[in-house]
Amino acid sequence: MEPLTTEMILVMIMIGIAIFLFIAEWIRVDVVAILMMVTLPLLHLVTPKEAFIGFASNAVISIIAVIIIGAGLDKTGIINNLVKPVLRIAGSSESRVIIAISLTVAGISSFMQNIGAAALFLPAIQRVSKTLKIPLSNLLMPIGFSAILGGTITLVGCSPLILLNDLLEPFHLKAFHLFDVTPIGLALVSSGIACFILFGRFILPKGTVASTKEGPAPELQHVMEQLGEPYELHTPADFTDYREPLRVEDLKRRYLVNVVGIIEPPDFKLLSPTPEKEVRSDIDFLVYGQEKDVRRMAEEEGMTIKDELEVFKNDVSESTSGTVEAVVAPRSALVGKTLNQVNLQDRFRVTPLAIYRHGETYRAEIGDLVLAVGDAILIQGTWPRLKLLQAERSLLFTTPIDMELMRPERALWAGLWLAIALTMIMVFKIQLSVSLMTGALGMVVTRVLSIDEAYTSVDWRTIFLLAGLIPLGIATEKTGTAAWIAHAVLHTIGTVQPIVLLTVIGILSTIFTLVISNVGATVLLVPLVVNMAIAANTDPRMAALVVGLATSNSFMLPTHQVNALYMGPGRYRSVDFMKAGLLISVVFIVVMIGMIYLFYGV
Amino acid sequence: MAIITISRGSYSKGKEVAEKVAERLGYECISREVLLDASDRFQIPEVKLIRAIHDSPSILDRFNHGKQIFIAYIRSALTCRVAKDKVVYHGLAGHILLTGVPHVLKVRIIADMANRIQAEMQREGISQDQALTLLERDDQERRKWTKNIYGVDPWDSSLYDIVVHIHKLTVSDAVDFICQAATKEQFTTTESYQRKMEDFALACQVKAALVDPFFDVGVTCEYGNVLIYTKASNHQINKLEKMAKRIEKEIEGINNLEVHAGVPVPKNAI
Repeated sequence: MEPLTTEMILVMIMIGIAIFLFIAEWIRVDVVAILMMVTLPLLHLVTPKEAFIGFASNAVISIIAVIIIGAGLDKTGIINNLVKPVLRIAGSSESRVIIAISLTVAGISSFMQNIGAAALFLPAIQRVSKTLKIPLSNLLMPIGFSAILGGTITLVGCSPLILLNDLLEPFHLKAFHLFDVTPIGLALVSSGIACFILFGRFILPKGTVASTKEGPAPELQHVMEQLGEPYELHTPADFTDYREPLRVEDLKRRYLVNVVGIIEPPDFKLLSPTPEKEVRSDIDFLVYGQEKDVRRMAEEEGMTIKDELEVFKNDVSESTSGTVEAVVAPRSALVGKTLNQVNLQDRFRVTPLAIYRHGETYRAEIGDLVLAVGDAILIQGTWPRLKLLQAERSLLFTTPIDMELMRPERALWAGLWLAIALTMIMVFKIQLSVSLMTGALGMVVTRVLSIDEAYTSVDWRTIFLLAGLIPLGIATEKTGTAAWIAHAVLHTIGTVQPIVLLTVIGILSTIFTLVISNVGATVLLVPLVVNMAIAANTDPRMAALVVGLATSNSFMLPTHQVNALYMGPGRYRSVDFMKAGLLISVVFIVVMIGMIYLFYGV
Repeated sequence: MAIITISRGSYSKGKEVAEKVAERLGYECISREVLLDASDRFQIPEVKLIRAIHDSPSILDRFNHGKQIFIAYIRSALTCRVAKDKVVYHGLAGHILLTGVPHVLKVRIIADMANRIQAEMQREGISQDQALTLLERDDQERRKWTKNIYGVDPWDSSLYDIVVHIHKLTVSDAVDFICQAATKEQFTTTESYQRKMEDFALACQVKAALVDPFFDVGVTCEYGNVLIYTKASNHQINKLEKMAKRIEKEIEGINNLEVHAGVPVPKNAI
């Protein structure tokens, strides 16, 4: 065995520091990655060029491109349409939603890059979290892990398995078939999902619905509760018979119920109607109000409350409309005027719901209140109309309008460019990064999304985290540290039972894949373990397969691309990955060895 | 079904008319009961209330607003009674205290002065001159009261739906007219009128609860949603809001209560 050099020791120290900082969280994980990127060339463990080669790596460029493609697909609503049937089956139960999306993502990831599947679904998952009020952190980790696990279902699911047959060739071993790993992969995916369903409560961090950046502030939340929920009602056919006409403002005054949408017979949908709008017979209308008020109104006026939103279902969804808090700005033209004079309903087609002033919420007759600087007005409306109001600058919006202008009319283009990118990868075998970037560029050119939107959609935390860890992998391999460790470990255990050897190989691959890339770990370990296995009288193909699979067992640190991608949006900490990852990793090795034992009879 | 107020001078046979109308229609006839209710509820001696509603305001009243406070009490008691419907009220100032209620039949009974003097002489055993002086003073007080507090003259016939002069027309004639009018559609208590009456009563109750010390607040109520309008300064608003919060819990039937400051008080506010 080679002697231990100073450089090897330095690399091990650097790995130790990186892992320590990941866990201690004195600095953020992406900053740790940058620290590695800078320190390694200073210690002459890698060349300066190698230090930053991560940014130009196939993997990082592919991720950037696939995130842009994902954003484009999301903007046109394609992913939404894909997720909808899945959600319909799942209902609103958290476990079922997790199972449904996880299985979908795992299925997709078995044929394409894990990170691709994960990135494409990220926007959709964020939306699901918002609409179903499930904390994002409860969804992302199980789904991300499923994406990684899904890569083990077929031989083209992830890079290590793609490489495997090539690596076996020099040893004249029989190649694996496409679906040879499927039983093991399926067992891994189902055990992974089962772990989250059974123990999710204990291993997932306690998250809140919608991150604070996007959701309303806690104080606003309270006010929103006072304003109540949207309800859809229906008036009977004889509603207007023998009575004075009932107008929108009457309902507001009498029952403190805000009508935000009404059907103008026969079927014209009017949003944010003016106060004078009459409520006619046999129509549907949408109101915001407290349940008791809405019930009182329905009872006294003989209307029926629908169990769920039907006609206006799409009009209150988060993507089309919302309620914002707007504050009367100093020097605003609104100061000293009343809402009746300003007439927001007529000019902007938005509905003021309440005024918040000095800790008091005003819901009744708010049109008469004289506005003063600092009054907060809660306004309901569609995003484009609210945006227009914001542009007028007389009101300061405290809730950011997280409006994404959906472009469903561009769906065809988005789908086309995805298809082109996939064809380039699968049919013409063009390099992943080039194919995906072509797709991303195509989307920008055909105005599925603007280039600025493309830039903002990329999460730079992910990019730096991944790019920064690549030189660490390079250093580990270049200095021979990895080989030395592998040799040392395998040498130490000596000759053992085949099953024990495979388990050790599995653990070793798991540890390697956490620090150096999964491809690097595979390339390094396969020749080693094949020789070891032959020496120990174990099936060398199985030893190689264990490496190929266990290099996907990367859950304990956010170093895997998928984990890195989901860490930011899910607001996870390294500790969260350690906690959940440890369980999944152990289960992974147990299930993998068990399945190999059962199916291949080692 | 209706609400009838009968305004009368003393010794004008108004009471007799009221009682007969109530008897014929099967209504409740009230007058002094209202004052007793108010005295009971707000712990004010009845005599003070009578003075408040009968005598014209003194200079002193302009400073301590005592009169307005008592009137709010009386009004609160009256509206509570009247809200039950089928009522003939022949006490003081009914037509004024119930302004804003749409289905009130407002009647004024006047009588020939000679007959009134005669009646008073008989009842009190006083001379003709004394009786005349008393009656004139009484009429004068009433006139001053309404003029001072509400700016209208009770002798202005446009304040009433019917004015009957008991002279050539007899009491029973008057009863006939009133009963006939009371059955007219305009005075029938519909669901929406009843609702208005209840809202009105609720507003009066809130006002009565706030009037000491916030005599100048305006209160409106629609479908149980009470709005309190005030011109009070910041310091006082806090106090008012605290009081309002308490009232919201105490008075039944309030759906929502808000205090709006710095807003012009609407005309229909109480």
